[in-house]
Amino acid sequence: MNRRQRIESFLVGLGMLLCCCVMVLNATVGYYLAAIIISVSMLSFGVRLLVYYQTMARHMVGGKAMLFLGILVLNFSAFIISLVNTPMLFLLLYLLLFHGFSGAISVLRAKEARSFSAASWVLSLLMGIANLGVALGAVFAALFLRSLEILGYLYFAGMLCSALVRMASAFRRTEIVYIQ
Amino acid sequence: MQKDFHYYATYCAAYLAGYSHQECLDICYSAQFVDWCSVTLLSALKAPKAAATTQLQLELMDARTDLLGLQDITRIWSSFHFLPYQLKPTLTKRCKSYIDKYALICNVNGDLVVDTVNLAKGRSLQAVGVAMHVLADTWAHRYFAGTPSLVINNTNYYFYELIGSGKETKERRITFRHSASTPDDLEHSIYTNTIFQSSERSIMNLGHGRAGHLPDYSFIRYKYLPAWGEYGEIVKNNPSDYLNAFCQMIYAMKYLRGIERSFEKSRYDVTAIAPWEARIKEILTRRQLDACEDWRALGEQLSGESIEDFDLEKYQQEYLDAPKTGKDDTFIGKFILAAMAQKSMVTNKIYKSGNKLAGFSVDYNEHGLRGIRDYFRLVNQAKEESE
Repeated sequence: MNRRQRIESFLVGLGMLLCCCVMVLNATVGYYLAAIIISVSMLSFGVRLLVYYQTMARHMVGGKAMLFLGILVLNFSAFIISLVNTPMLFLLLYLLLFHGFSGAISVLRAKEARSFSAASWVLSLLMGIANLGVALGAVFAALFLRSLEILGYLYFAGMLCSALVRMASAFRRTEIVYIQ
Repeated sequence: MQKDFHYYATYCAAYLAGYSHQECLDICYSAQFVDWCSVTLLSALKAPKAAATTQLQLELMDARTDLLGLQDITRIWSSFHFLPYQLKPTLTKRCKSYIDKYALICNVNGDLVVDTVNLAKGRSLQAVGVAMHVLADTWAHRYFAGTPSLVINNTNYYFYELIGSGKETKERRITFRHSASTPDDLEHSIYTNTIFQSSERSIMNLGHGRAGHLPDYSFIRYKYLPAWGEYGEIVKNNPSDYLNAFCQMIYAMKYLRGIERSFEKSRYDVTAIAPWEARIKEILTRRQLDACEDWRALGEQLSGESIEDFDLEKYQQEYLDAPKTGKDDTFIGKFILAAMAQKSMVTNKIYKSGNKLAGFSVDYNEHGLRGIRDYFRLVNQAKEESE
């Protein structure tokens, strides 16, 4: 990473950390903020697909499909934004899909690492169990407890982890040494 | 390419280049080890993770595709499996991000192949093995790039297998499925590939994943439309490409042994294989998923020695038992040094071309000890070599 990318990574992490603080201090605002973040991310994904088509995909065989996909995603995200006053749905879907998938992959990785006798399998397994726990917890909180608060805290915790990882990566040594 | 070529065929090529049986075993073991040396394995050995030469399927699934994650992936796959051909392509009306990806398309007889072979000159047999893996893969993996990219590595429904030869060549439409556990069906041309992902950076769009294992089979000939080719058809003739790879390996290893004075692009040692040409062509064209037994039989006939099967654990205990100061002198220690030197060289060339996809490279002569600490052992190696 160059200096600009390091600063950018640190600032984005800091921004996410501030969002977490706001969400924890004012839970009501926090739920809506989380729903807005998720829906705006989808909107920006649609816009990015159109930019991607214009700059890269139009040179690709069959690249026009990316244009149609971009238009579809943009329309869908506009529709999703209109549902932003139902944050429980957003949080549930996000937590279930993201953490459920990550958890399943981590558990499989732990199995693979163990077959190589690598000590990292324990960490992978714990991360997998934690992620699957979050996904199952989200389902339980939404369907049985009807608790928006628990969903919110699960989301905040995930965001806090991402923020810390981003900030830490700004200080990582990344250059490859070359000797003539 | 698979174990049949990287292990057994490399043994045969090394023997034809004049190496002894034991040297051939060390070279072909190292060439095959490139496909196994993952972060997971290195962490089990408590070895430097920067030396990873491959990523396991689940490591890839779990890999982050942010900036650093992509650089890590690109370094590994471009350095060892998809060596770029032309780092400064002449393309017009394309944005830089497209050109950067296009520049990483692998092909044969590029400048980096020469650099790779020269890097192994005067080094260990492990370095020779690493170089032979890289060289051989340029033939199998040509036209794909070692970085996740939809616009470069994608394929579509236009994919036909060419069966027979001459006027009797028939085209058979290839059917792709996405079941990794089901073996490819040669009889009906049904092969496994990665699932289509519209995300440019998806790991499904790394290398030849969208073309399945087709580039890895020596017998196959097929035609398709590469995503980057502006609807121009490519006919891939693997038997011919694999034969060239074999002859180029012999020539390269003769150069590394000091028999040839230089290593030049587009030169193949066809003389060395002349007595065995018909047999080699027969192996290369036989329709089978795994040609290990055929190559092993040829290798054993050549040397008159028995060739043991590849055993991943063969040298692991030696590395684990070695004291900290002696690890670099073990088999795996030497492999690690060779792998890091190759990765460092390729990353530097890509970086110097103005392309940051493989990450940043710092020149030790200009900046001293900066960057990832694992690479500092290359400094020690260079000092030892100069003494």
